[in-house]
Amino acid sequence: MRVFGAMLVDAYRELNSKKLFWVILAISGVVVLGYGSIGFDAAGVSIGFGIWHVESEFLYDGSVLSTIFYRSIFASFIVAIWLTWIATILALISTTTVFPDFIAGGAIDLVLAKPIGRLRLFVYKYLVSLLFVVLQVTLFCIGIFLCMGLRVGDWDPLVFAAIPLVIVFFSYLFSVSVLVGVWTRSAITALLLTILFWFGLYSMNQTEAILLTVKTQFQLETEHAAERLAALEANAGDEPDETTTSRIAELRTEQQEAEDLVARLDTWYRLTAGIKAVLPKTGETIGLLDRWLSRDSDINIMDIFTGNVQADGNGQFSLGGRPDRDREAQRRVQAVYAGRSETYVIGTSLAFEFVMLGLAAWIFCRRDY
Amino acid sequence: MPEAVIDIHDVHKTYRRRIKALRGVSVRVERGQIVGLLGPNGAGKSTLVKILMTVVRPSRASGTVLGHAVGHKPTLRRVGYLPEHHRFPPYLTGGQVLDFYAALAGVDRSTRRVRAAELLEIVGMTEWKDTCISEYSKGMMQRVGLAQSLVNDPDLVLLDEPTDGVDPIGRRDIRDVLNRMREDGKTVLLNSHLLSELELVGCDHVLIMHQGQIRVEGSIDELTHDSRRYELVIVGDVPDWANAQPEIDVRPTAMNEPGMSMLVVSGTEASSIQPLIDRLRADARTIVRVQARRDSLEELFMRSVINRETGQVDAPGAYTGNGGGA
Ligand SMILES: Nc1ncnc2c1ncn2[C@@H]1O[C@H](COP(=O)(O)OP(=O)(O)O)[C@@H](O)[C@H]1O
Ligand SMILES: [Mg+2]
Repeated sequence: MRVFGAMLVDAYRELNSKKLFWVILAISGVVVLGYGSIGFDAAGVSIGFGIWHVESEFLYDGSVLSTIFYRSIFASFIVAIWLTWIATILALISTTTVFPDFIAGGAIDLVLAKPIGRLRLFVYKYLVSLLFVVLQVTLFCIGIFLCMGLRVGDWDPLVFAAIPLVIVFFSYLFSVSVLVGVWTRSAITALLLTILFWFGLYSMNQTEAILLTVKTQFQLETEHAAERLAALEANAGDEPDETTTSRIAELRTEQQEAEDLVARLDTWYRLTAGIKAVLPKTGETIGLLDRWLSRDSDINIMDIFTGNVQADGNGQFSLGGRPDRDREAQRRVQAVYAGRSETYVIGTSLAFEFVMLGLAAWIFCRRDY
Repeated sequence: MPEAVIDIHDVHKTYRRRIKALRGVSVRVERGQIVGLLGPNGAGKSTLVKILMTVVRPSRASGTVLGHAVGHKPTLRRVGYLPEHHRFPPYLTGGQVLDFYAALAGVDRSTRRVRAAELLEIVGMTEWKDTCISEYSKGMMQRVGLAQSLVNDPDLVLLDEPTDGVDPIGRRDIRDVLNRMREDGKTVLLNSHLLSELELVGCDHVLIMHQGQIRVEGSIDELTHDSRRYELVIVGDVPDWANAQPEIDVRPTAMNEPGMSMLVVSGTEASSIQPLIDRLRADARTIVRVQARRDSLEELFMRSVINRETGQVDAPGAYTGNGGGA
């Protein structure tokens, strides 16, 4: 405990000495300020503490939609763009030197010569180097929590769920940085390979999502063709005329082709999903926050932006239009993602992280410094 | 027999299956001794110390440090270490450095505070304790490093090139600290490629290492005993009668003493050279000086690193298998 405490204090002093830490904190402050500058009055939304004003029949003081809207700005945009994208890159840059510096000749000797086992030393160092992100995201979430409470009266402690999620998300990437850093002893190599890996994960995610969406659309296509075919056959009775027969044959081949395509897409989808199963699920981990925060409403921010919402004049809202085929496809795709439990998403990602850290620890413990 | 603080046998270390840094080293250090480990660059001195500190894992080793097997981590609580080219986290102040490494060594907070202040005083760094070490000079770093090696009040201290890059005043201060350690009854293993260092510190015992082996060991007195002699410098040539006496050796004089000769008689007894002086005086020869001498550690060192086969000094570095060594 004494050793861990000393290392934690040391980690704090280290990040305290880093300019980038303060830069990130300052930008975080600006983001929170920008978020807090959005407010609602009786006629609409004001942005930038009243510099811009947008009239709206959906978003006004007291409307349920404005609460959903305000929450979604946080869950869908701020978290996705700032926390898990820009801030993460900056945090990776700042922390990439931690392990290479730790194991540098002349520095590691001092630490290894203390009565602490190497594995324990490694684990402690890893944990305390997460302090950087812990502090950043905690301060940030406190700011967001206050904004939500003060602006729309939405005092939701669920906002703080972003803290463990962002830490866990960051730690997937950081474990790669640590492995490369311990292995090559080079901070810059660690940073480059980690970012490359991250882009790899991102493209993997995108590929999977696209394959799933396209596959689902074609799936709907075949179902639609089947319906029409059934209707046509029922109408035609026992002795269909020539045009109907040719129409039925045409539909059959169409349906067959669509089914073949679905089968082929499905193979590729399964392949990417299979590869993704063993990799950390960065996007889906952060997606959990959105899932939790928007659990109790079926209207999402995209509906508000695309105007797919109808007001009944009594402060009640419903989704506009009949659910078309695209919407149905989207619903099914979301159902697939929602079908992956929190335990699966985080558990498999942590398993990957443990493998990375296991390798790094093995190299760390066996090396002659 | 006095208690052995370090008692290791047959230590071998081969780096990456190729570089034979240590080839069967045995060392015994007794409580309260200051032992100097001497050798050219690449002799394996740092490797030996790192093995004792568990920084490097030996290929083969047996024996004990403070009564426990080499590599036993809890023992390190009682050992202090100053690595060569040590690097402290640059964002710490001198005081924070001591506190941090003391905490890692398991020292409790209040003891840490008291001891840090004491040690900073001893190494003369009290004024600088709140200055960030990135502003320290090399000598100041070395002082803080020395204080760091003592934060856990160790029984055994291993110092790897402690005076490296330190100016003469700093060296003198470091020697004073070492003498203080001796008074406190600590055991010190001091690693150096500079010979004068060990002579000045007054090591009790010297080990000369070369190409991964201990070539010579003993106290400075023991090691230099055979070379004890008297040197007489006279004006003019050596007299014929002196040339004829086998116990009188004739050696060339230094460059700045032209027209003079040097007579050398080995031994430690001053009485043994009196007849020679009488005879020279009787011959009316001018005696410039009479001096009792022995080899310096440097001369001893040079003799022990001469390759027995080629008669040349080996190039520095680990044993490569082509020349030198047994
Ligand atoms: N970590 C290491 N990996 C590979 N070779 C090493 C390592 N450390 C030292 N050596 C080699 O081992 C030999 C002995 O080095 P060292 O113990 O540092 O000598 P000294 O301290 O006497 O100068 C040298 O040839 C050196 O290059
Ligand atoms: Mg050395």
